Amino acid sequence: MFFQTLLHVLLSSDLWAASLQFGALLLLPALGGVISERSGVVNIAMEGMMLTGAYAGVVIALSAHNALIGVLGAMVAGGLMALIHAIVSINFKADQIVSGIAINLAALGLTDYLSLQSGQGVPHLNNNLRLNNVSLGPISHIPFLGPVLFQQNIVFYVAILILIGIQFLLFNTNVGLRIRAVGEHPQAADTAGVNVRLVRYCCVVGSGLLSGLAGAYLSQGISGNFVTNMTAGAGFIALAAMIFGKYTPWGTAGACLVFGLGEALSPRLQSTGVSPNLLSILPYLLTLIALVGLVGRTIPPAADGIPYEPGTE
Amino acid sequence: MAASSAPRRGSEQRPVALRFTAWMRRLGSALARPLFALLLAIVAGGIVIIITTPGSPGDRLNAVFAAYASLVQGSIGDPQSLSFTLVRVGPLILTGLSVALAFRAGLFNIGAEGQLAVGATTAGIIAFKMPFLPSIILIPFMLIASMIAGAIWGGIVGLLKAWRGAHEVVTTIMLNWIAFYFTDYLIDGPFKAPNEADQTPPLPPKATIPTLVQFYNQTFGGFLPKIANPLSYPADMTIFLALLALVVYWFITTRTTLGYEIRVIGQNQKAAKYAGIPIKRNIVLVMAISGAFSGLAGAIHLMGQFPYQLIATTFSIDPTGFDAIGVALLGRTTAIGVLISAFLFGGLRQGGTFMQINANIPGDLVYIIQALVLFSIAAEFLPSIQRAWARWSGRSRRPALVPAIMGATVVPLPEKGLADNGQNGQTGQSAEQGADATLISGEEE
Repeated sequence: MFFQTLLHVLLSSDLWAASLQFGALLLLPALGGVISERSGVVNIAMEGMMLTGAYAGVVIALSAHNALIGVLGAMVAGGLMALIHAIVSINFKADQIVSGIAINLAALGLTDYLSLQSGQGVPHLNNNLRLNNVSLGPISHIPFLGPVLFQQNIVFYVAILILIGIQFLLFNTNVGLRIRAVGEHPQAADTAGVNVRLVRYCCVVGSGLLSGLAGAYLSQGISGNFVTNMTAGAGFIALAAMIFGKYTPWGTAGACLVFGLGEALSPRLQSTGVSPNLLSILPYLLTLIALVGLVGRTIPPAADGIPYEPGTE
Repeated sequence: MAASSAPRRGSEQRPVALRFTAWMRRLGSALARPLFALLLAIVAGGIVIIITTPGSPGDRLNAVFAAYASLVQGSIGDPQSLSFTLVRVGPLILTGLSVALAFRAGLFNIGAEGQLAVGATTAGIIAFKMPFLPSIILIPFMLIASMIAGAIWGGIVGLLKAWRGAHEVVTTIMLNWIAFYFTDYLIDGPFKAPNEADQTPPLPPKATIPTLVQFYNQTFGGFLPKIANPLSYPADMTIFLALLALVVYWFITTRTTLGYEIRVIGQNQKAAKYAGIPIKRNIVLVMAISGAFSGLAGAIHLMGQFPYQLIATTFSIDPTGFDAIGVALLGRTTAIGVLISAFLFGGLRQGGTFMQINANIPGDLVYIIQALVLFSIAAEFLPSIQRAWARWSGRSRRPALVPAIMGATVVPLPEKGLADNGQNGQTGQSAEQGADATLISGEEE
């Protein structure tokens, strides 16, 4: 009975569409984490940057009456939070984990404070201010693949492009080489004429832009409004996906898909009578097992988390 | 132990006045940064209020004063508020110690929340399964079981780290969610109260721990005046357990070989390896003890606080495990520091709810203040990070975190350093111990 339902669910396009939707939500901040950590700045603040983006997206879309400006505002808001992280951890050489925790706290407090201070919370978005699903012409009618791949939210397609872009950027361009050099051996990169701080600044702020975009995807796209702490740990799961994916874009994308699948699977298996709470454990348990059994040791970039000081070796 | 007694003899020879001023200077430098951070955060919080409050500049300034007045009033303003604050302080001390111990070993335990959840749920299950036990056995049994459950939950993290190199941040995040969903399953499944949703029945009364006022009224009420309205003072006797845990933590970290080894591992794993310190065993041990502290935090809240029952989904939104990170960092992973910062964070949280009701300023301002405290603490550690770096750069992989938290405490005083010179092998150890003694010098000297 259970396996029959499982098989049925696994073959439904609905499940895979939902998995990809959740997966893309995790992918954006996780990719942000990849570029930030590849440049040598530990970033555990994707959660906070996403939340800031989610709030800013809704509020700015409402006041500008334009969904796209809302998205840009969300990205800028996420980028600003990231800029604070960059200043504190690059210029002040503060501990990057502490700074990340502080960003998360500040984002939670600030978004909730502002939404309460402005009166009755944040109103729901009308359809024209939301990010809607887009059907990609005739290919969206392909059975199974159509609904799964080609009737997704617009941000999904953007996320896929960003995934390919970051993979290319990191491993096929000079800029990517510099980013990785700065993350592995900043002294050597500095000697070779790379501006270590500038590279790190750009990468951290970039992670904020991507996390902000994910926030807008969540608030303007998926749910259509802003509620307190609506990211509910998604940024931390993205962090786990990044480490699970061994700091590579493709690996991270695979990990995001696993988490997305788990998230999508549990409500769809409720009819089997198995407690939804137990089913929700599955993706996390699988990740743990995978970490222990399959993936093995994850090696972060050598200079990850260590502020750069010119002249030290 | 000649090495460690040497500095003490040295300090006895100095005149009392000199020792006193040296002590004051150390106290001052220990307090200056946290106090400065707090001041900065309060000013910045005020600016947030000024920006976001409507009305004239005078109105805005008044709003700031009203907000902070009600924040203080609501946290420590009267015995009742203080009692409510204490309710938050107990679990914060325990989870703060949990995070702090892991920090000392260079491990980042963000799993305090999950360890707390399994601890609380285990204590509850013991009470529901063995209600026949007398109170005197049942209560200690519940407390110990919660610690064991937390220790297992934390120990798994240590095992995965030690033997598979699994990053503890990832495994604790995974284990947190597993703990939340699994405890929700137990609370909403096998142990669900009949006719209720999402919660267990209350614990039997003999499995609960009395509040301070109840205890006072029962014990001394016969011959001393009783306190009226005992229900308005919810702080319970478990606060003493938290204080006891502080002493245990202080003892482990400053008076045992384990504490010393933890610190070496946290600061320089290679040095620890060459010194023959069993790194893997200690990582597992640290995470288990760390988990035990958090597990106990869950149990004391369940057993000491109305409604004495487990409710589904509460653990995943409970901020205690998260605040604990701030408590550990602000307290610089020392016992006394954790005590003070647990009071600060607990008071801020409690005062924040009061502020929301009385001054009409959203209580979330407290998060912003906490975040700013962390920022300024983190950025203020610049000199100690640099010092630590000069010493370990190139030799250690991730030296920043722990030395940053430890700050000035790891730097031995010059005379102690001199006294230790030549005592090869023992030098590091006694210098560390000497440095630690400076921290608790308030009690010792």
